[in-house]
Amino acid sequence: MANTPSPSTDQLTPDRSAPWLEPRGLYVHVPFCAHHCGYCDFAVTVGQDHLIETYLEALALEIDRTEVTTPVDTIFIGGGTPTLLSPDQLGRLAGMIRRHFPTRPNLEFSIESTPESITADKVAVLADHGLNRFSLGVQSFQGHTLRVLERQHSGDQVTPAVEIIRRRVPNFSMDFIFGAPGQTITDWEHDLKRAIALGSSHISTYGLTYEKGTPLWKQRESGDVIALGETDELALYTMSHELLGSAGFEHYEISNFAKPDHRCQHNEKYWANEAYHGVGVGAVRYVGGRREHNKRNTKDYIRVVFSGESPTFQQEELSPFERARETLAVQLRRSDGVSRQAFLHQTGHSLKSIVQHRLAPMIEAGLVTDENECVSLTFAGKCVADGLVSKVVWG
Amino acid sequence: MPAPSHIRNFSIIAHIDHGKSTLADQFLLQTNTITKRDYRAQLLDGMDLERERGITIQMHPVTIYHTKDGEKYELNLIDTPGHVDFGYEVSRSLAACEGAILLVDAFQGVQAQTVANAYLAIENDLTIVPVLNKIDMPTARPEAVTAEMETAVGVNAEDVLRASAKSGVGVLEILDAIIDRVPCPPGDPKAPLKALIYNSHFDTFKGVVIYIRVMEGSVKIGQKIKLMRGNTDHVVMEIGQFRPTMVPCQELTTGQVGFLTAQVKNIQDVHIGDTVTDAVNPTETALPGYKVPQAMVYSGLYPVDNEEFEDLREALTKLRLNDSSFSFVPEVSDGLGFGFRCGFLGMLHREIIGQRLERDCELDLVHTAPNVTFQILTRSGETIMVHSPQDVVDGGQIEEFREPIVRINFLLPSKNIGDIMSMAAERRGEYIKTEYLSPERAIITYELPLAEVIYDLYDKLKSVTHGYGTMEYELKEYRPADLVRLDVLVHQKRVDALSVIVHRSTAERRGRKLIQKLRKEIDRHLFDIALQAAIGSRIIARETITGMKKDVTAKCYGGDITRKRKLWAKQAEGKKRMKQVGQVEISQEAFMSVLESDD
Ligand SMILES: Nc1nc2c(ncn2[C@@H]2O[C@H](COP(=O)(O)OP(=O)(O)OP(=O)(O)O)[C@@H](O)[C@H]2O)c(=O)[nH]1
Ligand code: SF4
Ligand SMILES: [Mg+2]
Repeated sequence: MANTPSPSTDQLTPDRSAPWLEPRGLYVHVPFCAHHCGYCDFAVTVGQDHLIETYLEALALEIDRTEVTTPVDTIFIGGGTPTLLSPDQLGRLAGMIRRHFPTRPNLEFSIESTPESITADKVAVLADHGLNRFSLGVQSFQGHTLRVLERQHSGDQVTPAVEIIRRRVPNFSMDFIFGAPGQTITDWEHDLKRAIALGSSHISTYGLTYEKGTPLWKQRESGDVIALGETDELALYTMSHELLGSAGFEHYEISNFAKPDHRCQHNEKYWANEAYHGVGVGAVRYVGGRREHNKRNTKDYIRVVFSGESPTFQQEELSPFERARETLAVQLRRSDGVSRQAFLHQTGHSLKSIVQHRLAPMIEAGLVTDENECVSLTFAGKCVADGLVSKVVWG
Repeated sequence: MPAPSHIRNFSIIAHIDHGKSTLADQFLLQTNTITKRDYRAQLLDGMDLERERGITIQMHPVTIYHTKDGEKYELNLIDTPGHVDFGYEVSRSLAACEGAILLVDAFQGVQAQTVANAYLAIENDLTIVPVLNKIDMPTARPEAVTAEMETAVGVNAEDVLRASAKSGVGVLEILDAIIDRVPCPPGDPKAPLKALIYNSHFDTFKGVVIYIRVMEGSVKIGQKIKLMRGNTDHVVMEIGQFRPTMVPCQELTTGQVGFLTAQVKNIQDVHIGDTVTDAVNPTETALPGYKVPQAMVYSGLYPVDNEEFEDLREALTKLRLNDSSFSFVPEVSDGLGFGFRCGFLGMLHREIIGQRLERDCELDLVHTAPNVTFQILTRSGETIMVHSPQDVVDGGQIEEFREPIVRINFLLPSKNIGDIMSMAAERRGEYIKTEYLSPERAIITYELPLAEVIYDLYDKLKSVTHGYGTMEYELKEYRPADLVRLDVLVHQKRVDALSVIVHRSTAERRGRKLIQKLRKEIDRHLFDIALQAAIGSRIIARETITGMKKDVTAKCYGGDITRKRKLWAKQAEGKKRMKQVGQVEISQEAFMSVLESDD
């Protein structure tokens, strides 16, 4: 890049229909869970199933108030455990979504679920509403790991659940956690191989993080569990990369692997820093460059929505330069990396104007590649993505 | 306006902590210069750092009045610091006086700075008024200490007064003795103005406040004066005395001590030791001024934020007005950018200057390792003064590498003589002599490389003698030695700010220690960092800081982006305070770790 335009001349007139300003994705949050897993810090509601009906009413209200200017091509129902809802409730939920949001022909419609909450009825009613992708929270097949994580299901429940799903929805993904206390490399290899054998088209592998305040974090603080060391974690992560790679999966995002044409298009919007709608408790939406966070407490959320107010409790709108930085930071998580041309078009800033001279040493250290006008992380770079992104983007 | 016959000017000199500032308090109280209500301990130690550390750093002048035999006298006294690093403050004070109170702690007895400062006063032809202080202490040894004073500085036992600055006993008797023994200031009040600038400070509104001692003639408000060194003329705006706050008056005449302001905004116009005279009717010859003391220790000062370079220059310039004993010249370092190489009188002086800059001027600074000034005789016969390891020329060009040697006096309990001897031997010392002040106390004299002295000798002496040993030294000469420059390479890049000049015999040990410390101080990076210590191209020690292998948060979905962004930005912000050396961020602590003592 000989001639880098300065940030001011980079500015392009914003096109309000650009995918990073006008949402083409929808996230719907369902907070209910049967039990609170020890590591989880999501917006979840446990033992409040009597609230489900009221919650669905509130959700309907929020959905109705959501302004839609263009059809969506991805819908993601996440949680919590959305499939904790009854078939009837799931039908109503899917129905209210489909009625309000026009969709495009190639729609990807996903839901999160757990092995123990799957039934044929639930799958059927969702499939009837056009749902075409399941994301199954398996986490592990090993009893001892599931116990450390305080999951409610056993490894044996996974295969029957997959059988049920597959009858109506052939495309499914599995979520795993690696790096749990006591997990060995053989355990992990075994987990991954079983996921492949079951025909998963997509696998997410999340390195366990000890979120402050969670029961698992407290156990680590008090020394009741011992976290895996850096070398062990790295070995597990490397194993996912290599094993899934040789099974035909593409490592397309730091924690995500997909068979060709089976990436999660909804999540890809996040890693492109594109716009999306978000409804439900704790949901986040990103519309017209403004990011809004909904209230995280279910009762508060219901109360506010019923009273006709906005459930938003936090919002931010970044300066174009900060937005460009953020975009770069999230896009670097993708194996496709950051195309200089597309980046300039999306953010109005050249990549060079943000990273300045900080890329060369990273390339030299084998953490980043810069080829064909596209910057991306190598595997080694993915392993240290946080430090790297912070350094390269914020300097 | 008092006649010279009714003026006395004196300093209070002593070893550190022997009670100078406390005695000054008593003078202020017992002459009603201040009221009991305004009193606080060591009142003249006004600087924050002085109060915090409980030591005097700067000289403090004050004017008091005392009546003896029905006659009122104006007494100008200057409280001085006792620490060896501030000796220049003492010599400047002495030049404004005719007498000095030599204060000695009646328990601790004669110490190194007692002797050094006494000789300073004698060289300046000052009348010494010897005083034993702290006689209230049950452990006081007045007879023995008086004997030590006789032996060490040649005073007469019958002249030694006894006082307690704490209880106030014997204090007014000291003032009486000053009037009796110290000569009144000489000089002709009718002659053209001739005043010594013995100190100054900067005031945002008034410009430079010039501290003067009038030697001849007088100075009034509105008078046109000349600063002789720079030959600049100014009109006197304000005149006054320190009582102890700045109290204005109309005129200062021969023998008096006080201050003047003349809207001098250009700091460079004022030189300590310069002469103030009348612009219209100037005096013929300027006063001799001061011999600027030789800096003993040099080190680099760099703003953490390179943008603050000019602020640092300004802060240094202002500080120098108040302390002309340190020097600074700009220098550039690969790792640290633009900064200054500063010369100091000792390690405490260096530390104090650094703290004053950081506190009073709100600057964040990196201090590089201290070093002494070496000398190199090149093959081509040129002699280079090496103030910084960066100035060391290529090995092939060196004919002779020389280091400064000091003559050092240790004053200590006789039973510690053996300890000191082995300490000095380890540091390449050459024994000169031993003198006994009494069977229990001795002065041992050595010649030692200055570099070994500044490194950690003072701390070592304090610890082996349990605090009862003191030392005092002066530069003697340069001598050839087998010296080398030890370099530190971080990630293959020489960090010039971490280079040190050391004796070859200790190079390997120092090198290993240095990078071991550095290893602990540098955070892990995204890649392996090699740390090496080298002499020329020969690597004598190495360490590796392994790179981060795994540092990634698993999830980053829509809801996480805000939080993640803030974390990333914050992490980067934290690193900005560090210095960038090639690809590596090095903290201030890492630089400091190089300076710490060897074990
Ligand atoms: N018992 C007793 N203590 C005293 C006396 N005079 C001073 N001190 C104490 O000795 C300590 C040092 O006193 P300073 O007046 O600060 O000593 P200094 O000589 O000014 O010290 P520097 O300025 O740092 O050289 C303080 O704790 C005083 O309270 C005295 O007459 N008797
Ligand atoms: S099921 Fe998922 S959302 Fe619910 S508590 Fe467990 S980890 Fe959290
Ligand atoms: Mg003092």
